[in-house]
Amino acid sequence: MTQEIKTIPFTYEALSQLKMSEGVLELQIGPAHAGSGHMRIVAWVEGDTVVKVDPDIGFVHRGVEKLSEDRIYIKAIPMVERPSLVDTVNANLGYVMALERLLGIEPPPRAQYIRVITAEISRIMSHLYGIAIYGIFMGSSTVFMWAMADREPFIDLLQELTGARITYSHIIPGGVRWDLPKDFAENAEIALKYLENRTKDYEKVWINNPVVVARSMGVGKLSAEGAIRLGVVGPNLRASGVKYDIRKEEPYAAYEEFDFEVPTFKEGDSYSRLLQRVEEIKQSIHIIRQALKRLPDGKIIYEDYYKRMSPLMKKIYDEKGRVKFTLMLTSLSPPKGEAVSRVEGGRGEMFYYLVSDGGKAPYRFRVVTPSFRNLPFFTHVMPGHKLADIPVIYGRIDYFPPRPIDDGLFEPDPRYLVAPS
Amino acid sequence: MSSEQLEKLSGLLGDTAKVAYNERSNLIRIEVERGELRNVAVQLRDYGFDHCSSVTVVDYPKEDLMEVVWHLSSYSRSEVSRYTIGLVTSVSRSKPEVASLTDVWESALFLERETHEMFGVNFVGHPDLRPLLLPEELMGTWPLRKDYQLKKKREDVFKKGGASL
Amino acid sequence: MMDFLNLIPVTWLPLLESVFYALVFPGFIAILLLAFFIIWFERKAAARVQMRYGPLWVSKRTGGIAQLLADMIRFSFQEFIVPEGADLIPFVFLPGFLLAFSVLPTLFIPIGPYYSHIFPAGYTLLLSVAFTLVIPVYLVVLGWAADNKFSFIGALREAYLLISYEVPFILAIASAFLLYGTLNLVEVVTIQERSLPGIILNPVAALVFLIAVIRATGRGPYDIVEADSELVFGPYVEYSSLMFGFVMGVPYIELYSYSLLFSVLFLGGWAPITGVGFLGGLIIPGIVTFVKAVIVMCALVFLRGVYPRYKLDKAVRAGWSWVFYLALIALLLSAFMSRVL
Repeated sequence: MTQEIKTIPFTYEALSQLKMSEGVLELQIGPAHAGSGHMRIVAWVEGDTVVKVDPDIGFVHRGVEKLSEDRIYIKAIPMVERPSLVDTVNANLGYVMALERLLGIEPPPRAQYIRVITAEISRIMSHLYGIAIYGIFMGSSTVFMWAMADREPFIDLLQELTGARITYSHIIPGGVRWDLPKDFAENAEIALKYLENRTKDYEKVWINNPVVVARSMGVGKLSAEGAIRLGVVGPNLRASGVKYDIRKEEPYAAYEEFDFEVPTFKEGDSYSRLLQRVEEIKQSIHIIRQALKRLPDGKIIYEDYYKRMSPLMKKIYDEKGRVKFTLMLTSLSPPKGEAVSRVEGGRGEMFYYLVSDGGKAPYRFRVVTPSFRNLPFFTHVMPGHKLADIPVIYGRIDYFPPRPIDDGLFEPDPRYLVAPS
Repeated sequence: MSSEQLEKLSGLLGDTAKVAYNERSNLIRIEVERGELRNVAVQLRDYGFDHCSSVTVVDYPKEDLMEVVWHLSSYSRSEVSRYTIGLVTSVSRSKPEVASLTDVWESALFLERETHEMFGVNFVGHPDLRPLLLPEELMGTWPLRKDYQLKKKREDVFKKGGASL
Repeated sequence: MMDFLNLIPVTWLPLLESVFYALVFPGFIAILLLAFFIIWFERKAAARVQMRYGPLWVSKRTGGIAQLLADMIRFSFQEFIVPEGADLIPFVFLPGFLLAFSVLPTLFIPIGPYYSHIFPAGYTLLLSVAFTLVIPVYLVVLGWAADNKFSFIGALREAYLLISYEVPFILAIASAFLLYGTLNLVEVVTIQERSLPGIILNPVAALVFLIAVIRATGRGPYDIVEADSELVFGPYVEYSSLMFGFVMGVPYIELYSYSLLFSVLFLGGWAPITGVGFLGGLIIPGIVTFVKAVIVMCALVFLRGVYPRYKLDKAVRAGWSWVFYLALIALLLSAFMSRVL
């Protein structure tokens, strides 16, 4: 079914015509609303049907792009993580990959595997968050509590590894900062088994729940051509039938050595986006298990950087598996040039573009978060649905408003913000 | 990208475009003049690059120009799906105007809007260039340009006797 | 205590009993205590399903049951804000009206064979149903009175929802009337004592009644009117302080009225127990009816943890399709069973 997607321009004439027409109510589902996150959705409703939607984002825009021009390269790592708070490792990974491409270095295999493990754990956490937000938007706080609680074993895993709960800043150019602790593999297996058991609970209570099916099947339909034209990313794209995953198309960080599938669904409605995330969680569990089994030995930092460490730093590295920041890392000056990197985050494709002029700070740093690219959902997909479908569609694209980068479904995660500076 | 593919692509575009390949980033940089921009864009779209990942501007105040970059990628054509194209055109800083590519790629809608409010580049033909992210007091100040100074620079804040927080 | 009662002039007794009935049990004080209990139960049950504790701190030894009391105390210290454009008299007085009207039906429902004779005993079913159906009108006015687009939409949703459940509800009541052949609720229970409880005689009518009850009080999957993520809190969004406590408690009191009616009509009321006098005829059977009503309430309130919210148009459509058909089937079943009885 080809979807008719057309934009009603936000010109003064078109808007005033809309305002004057009888029966059209302008609703500001504003930042202080239980169903909106940190953004404002201005919706024009005629009766119960949504006629036009204008997303108003930028409430938590931090100016990462402008700030990074003022700081050394390595200081952009925490800045880049903040916009995508539920999926920080992938954001971190993307930036560091762009930087490594500028520098022309490759991290050792063990570091690549550790990157994959943490990235997949982050993806699981992001999808669970998406499921939780979807539940609360539909009125079930049960699934919200369950999914948020089920993130805890993974947060604990990464806390043992890095010491932080959400923003780890674990990946640095050249490798990673901490090596896996001794009992990481057993703990990870416990957490993964726990999640697999819980998936059965979710299937019983949530996925096969007749109310969920009634409310989300057929809602927010986006065909494959529509998805390509609008440029949506991530699980939303794959749930509309386009089989595109950057981990398979342009593999990075040891993904080509793993054997996993890319699930897709044909229908492209909110329900298939929900199923898509559950399937991707299962694939992530599969990848983590493979990575833990075949973890290679070796260093976790680029050989050249290791050689330049002082004897004290080398001692700390050998004993505790921790990389301290050398003077080299804090005064990186990549040669003149540009680099582009794309990672597949939990919410979609994160895009990084770095331009260097040989100095200590980036000349231009561009970040596009997946939630920013999922914005056309608001303007193109929502009109025509009922008012009660706004949270259903919104929740399912996993939008993270504060940061224009957000994945999906609905999570009000407009991670966009991050990108623009 | 194999050299035959690269040659095929540059042959398609002809003399109007300068093509360079950045192997580490799988990035094909295509530089065009402002007038040829739309033709090249349509040709690229028909070749298979069906969506726009990012629109941005790199500001070179010393040479008095701004480079507008569209990054494109392909969902549907599998042999080019791993590559990113950087479509670059230069505009002058005093009158930054360039044709909008939203009728070629609808995915560039919000990206061009954001670039406009950050740099002041006018995308001719864009249906809706309202500011998107900036608060009211910063609208129209084109904050990402190089000559826009942050109110407090980091060194000043931490210098002794520097700007107060 | 019986001696004490002998001291009172005989003519005063019905009046005193009616006052006791209205104020203490099953009237006002019992309803207040019940509201405490049922809200605590809902929060605790939902919390247990969601892997957390629920109300815990206020009275630790009894599991936090005094939570609502603490909330009420807090509410009474808050400032009561009236929005500038709101219609003052409906906005301020309607919650009180709502509270009064939601308690009223319980006065007409007998809880024991020794029932006070102030109200016309022959029409108790009709009167209690009539009073329950007045409440949604007040809700619509409430939504308009607050000067807020979201409460307006909530009021409209209440009107739509009312259309969807009212007819099946009345049909369920009509099938109960057809089954028992009387509008006198005391006689209804006597008939059930003789034969079987109403839920076995006509289960379809009981089912339709329960569905209508969930929709009317906005529990579980039908909290469409106060949809959290779409309308913030629907018609009640502008309320603060004690009024907020009222409007939050009113759905539970409505639920109690409906459940009491359900337990008398379909669960046999005070069926196994009967007696005479004040104690045996009012208090003990009353406790039995009361407990049955509370069990029904607990079951209905638990649904909230399992199902998310329905969409309005689907709810209205369902109300006029399969729920309506079920109500018609209930009517036919009643007609058939009334020949048997």
